[in-house]
Amino acid sequence: MMADKDFEAGLGGLDEGPAASATDPETPFGEAGDAADHPTVAALHERFGAAILHHGVVAGDEHVVHIQPERNAEILRWLKEDPGQRYLYLSDVTAVDFGGGRPLEVVYQLWSMELKRQIRLKAQLPLAALEIDSAVPIWQAANWLEREVFDLFGITFRGHPDLRRIMMPDNYAEGHPLRKDFPLRGRFSRAEQTRRALSMEVEDYYTPEELGIAGDKHRHGQEAGA
Amino acid sequence: MGLERGSALPVAPTGAPSFITSKLDFLVNWARRNSMWPMPFGTACCAIEMMASAATKYDIARFGMERMSFSPRQADVLICAGRVPYKMASPLRRIWDQMPQPKWCISMGACASSGGVFDAYSMVQGIDTIIPVDVYVPGCPPRPEGLIYGLLMLQEKIKGESLSNAAIREEDPLRVGRPNLPPETIEELALPFGNSTLQNRTSGLVSTSLVARPDDRKE
Amino acid sequence: MSKRTVEYLVTRNPEMGLDGRPVQAPVVPLEHDPELTGEHMLLNIGPQHPATHGVLRLVVELDGETVVRCIPHIGFLHSSFEKLGEYRTWNQIIPLTDRMDYLAPLIYNCAYAMAVEKLMGVEVTERCKVVRVMLMEMDRVFSHLLWIGTTALDIGAMTVFLYTFQERERVYDLHEALTGARITTSATRIGGMMADLPPGFIQGVRTWIESCRRTLDEVETLLSNNNLWIGRNRDVGAISAEDAIDYGLTGPNLRASGVPYDVRRDRPYYDYESYDFDVPVGEHGDCYDRYLCRMEEMRQSMNIIEQAIERLPDGPINVDDPRLILPGKKDVMTDMASMIHHFKLVMEGVNAPAGESWFGVESSKGELGMYVVSDGGSKPVRWRVRGPSFINISALPKMVEGHLLADVITVNASLDIVLGEIDR
Repeated sequence: MMADKDFEAGLGGLDEGPAASATDPETPFGEAGDAADHPTVAALHERFGAAILHHGVVAGDEHVVHIQPERNAEILRWLKEDPGQRYLYLSDVTAVDFGGGRPLEVVYQLWSMELKRQIRLKAQLPLAALEIDSAVPIWQAANWLEREVFDLFGITFRGHPDLRRIMMPDNYAEGHPLRKDFPLRGRFSRAEQTRRALSMEVEDYYTPEELGIAGDKHRHGQEAGA
Repeated sequence: MGLERGSALPVAPTGAPSFITSKLDFLVNWARRNSMWPMPFGTACCAIEMMASAATKYDIARFGMERMSFSPRQADVLICAGRVPYKMASPLRRIWDQMPQPKWCISMGACASSGGVFDAYSMVQGIDTIIPVDVYVPGCPPRPEGLIYGLLMLQEKIKGESLSNAAIREEDPLRVGRPNLPPETIEELALPFGNSTLQNRTSGLVSTSLVARPDDRKE
Repeated sequence: MSKRTVEYLVTRNPEMGLDGRPVQAPVVPLEHDPELTGEHMLLNIGPQHPATHGVLRLVVELDGETVVRCIPHIGFLHSSFEKLGEYRTWNQIIPLTDRMDYLAPLIYNCAYAMAVEKLMGVEVTERCKVVRVMLMEMDRVFSHLLWIGTTALDIGAMTVFLYTFQERERVYDLHEALTGARITTSATRIGGMMADLPPGFIQGVRTWIESCRRTLDEVETLLSNNNLWIGRNRDVGAISAEDAIDYGLTGPNLRASGVPYDVRRDRPYYDYESYDFDVPVGEHGDCYDRYLCRMEEMRQSMNIIEQAIERLPDGPINVDDPRLILPGKKDVMTDMASMIHHFKLVMEGVNAPAGESWFGVESSKGELGMYVVSDGGSKPVRWRVRGPSFINISALPKMVEGHLLADVITVNASLDIVLGEIDR
């Protein structure tokens, strides 16, 4: 079996692959882009000033704007309602965990159907304060998307009408799976996961609101309603 | 109430075979295996292949199985086609418990048989940890011919059954809703095995010197 | 419909109106007689159910037969794809993409490869582009064929299921000729395809298109002017254009409501702007319009495939980049350097530069977004799939309010969801 450095020596440039961009502490978000290339970015700088932390261009033509998380609701609402922006369509809300204690990034992907423009907004949240305002009052599409981010990353969305788990069972106790400190196979042993999975009662599958529809007689330990 | 096992048969309950029982067994097994009503517990891609095997090209109606019974109360064989996460494990166990005897189970596909590609936090690593399985059909997904081969194997298995062997049709009512295998066996089955590089790398149980992420090399 | 057909139908069938659509008796809602209405009933549909198109659970609040509220529950097929992706090299993720939308696997394969190629700044060859367009359109038809089969089955028209599955078998044969597998194709690789088109493939596609057109004609004869079909689908599950955009609906669901958004038109990739095709846009946003949109989309897709076949250039299918593409097997088996090259690429994977990329394609269900984030290694930091069905199904409660219980199944079917994509 050949040692690592023999591989490197024998294969020339194979190891490098396409050039990786340098991560420079001076530019923590990466290279800055030219705001003039994207009308929305220029307008954002003009209107929100300090709330726009950075603007960059990735993968050739995708514009990414980093914003202050405290002002995300304001910025998103302006992007939807301003007649010059008209981002009526929310494509995606997701989050990225880079690992190693770094802040989590909440990512919003927007598309304007009328103006045929795309933009990505990112808000960084430190691990100690994973809270941000919900975009549900602005776009209904954010409802389930934010629930998924809450379920898989543990980020709380203030003002969300129904923030509960969506992919994992409601009583899932192992944590938030897509975080980097969450092991691939889960925190509990397989036998424990199986035991927990099979120990659900019928009522556990319904939210209290749904059980309310069914009437008092279906709640534990209560007498039948009138 | 009801028939006591073995008491209504014209034979000693310990199953000493006689001419009448073997004829009766033959008849009963012939009827059972040629008119199995499948309960299609289809979750993912294997369900599409199961639908294809019910369609005109592969046609399981030839074997008497075209009447898909979506009610477990009327089904004979549960075909678990597709990956089963832990969230779905409880419905699977309930449906199995709701099926009356005689019942069999076919685990269709790699994910139902062993967890398949998905050795992760949310997937059941093989439904035999939850319900007893009679035939495992490997493949990802198995071709309809593969499923049909599994169904034919099940028919062979049924051919070999006997009414006087009450143990195979017994179900302990206390085990309703409980896993099928004891915890130690579940743990043993979940360990990485064989020579899978991917399993070894991602399980964390075996360290390898050749890893792919640049950061990992520092260790 | 021609005037003569309408007249014929009107004279034969007094229930057919002059515009060619059936005259429906207006639905009179029950007046709220306190003696008639009792408490609302909670009904659980699923997760194991023949008509939910997968492991979807719907909890419906019913007032008699009328749906007051519908609450979908998902997660019964959550297979941790995105987490698994973080432990696999870029090419190893491609088999995972097959298993998300198992009804149109080639679209997912191509979309993922396109996203990673964008991240890496790799431009695939012309032949590869045209082949991928052809395969994506083929899988669009493939997926819609299953959709019409299962939707008709849910509503009670069982013959259509058998007809469309027979067409699908022909596509399965094509998939198998190309990749060896019927459903889980894994046909693309970063920088190209797993293999070039086998001999006879193009002829096979042409034959399939001919027979598929005939099958679609038969299906339309059975369904499009069928009183029962129209009665079950017209004005059922209607959603307005503003609501559809707000809920993030995409694909035929959005276009049926009158919004002409198609990623192939608005953010074209792989020279889609140079293909001659129409994008069907509906008017009322109900199930019938969604049906019409998808049927027409199938025909347009077949036109695109024919154009792609016409313009298919010769040349290599993979880019000529040794950092991405495995050397040919003949070299690997005879030359040591090629063998080491092959070994290194397979064991360590290709490296991508640090950065990210969000790539949207028009899949059969809607806008499929692949978001990949890289830190310079051979595995992604984050792989996110914006599955269109996840967002489409979140609009279901809005669409079924006030409808009857049987309409819940119809609307659910008309959304064309696939649970692998919803739950990932």
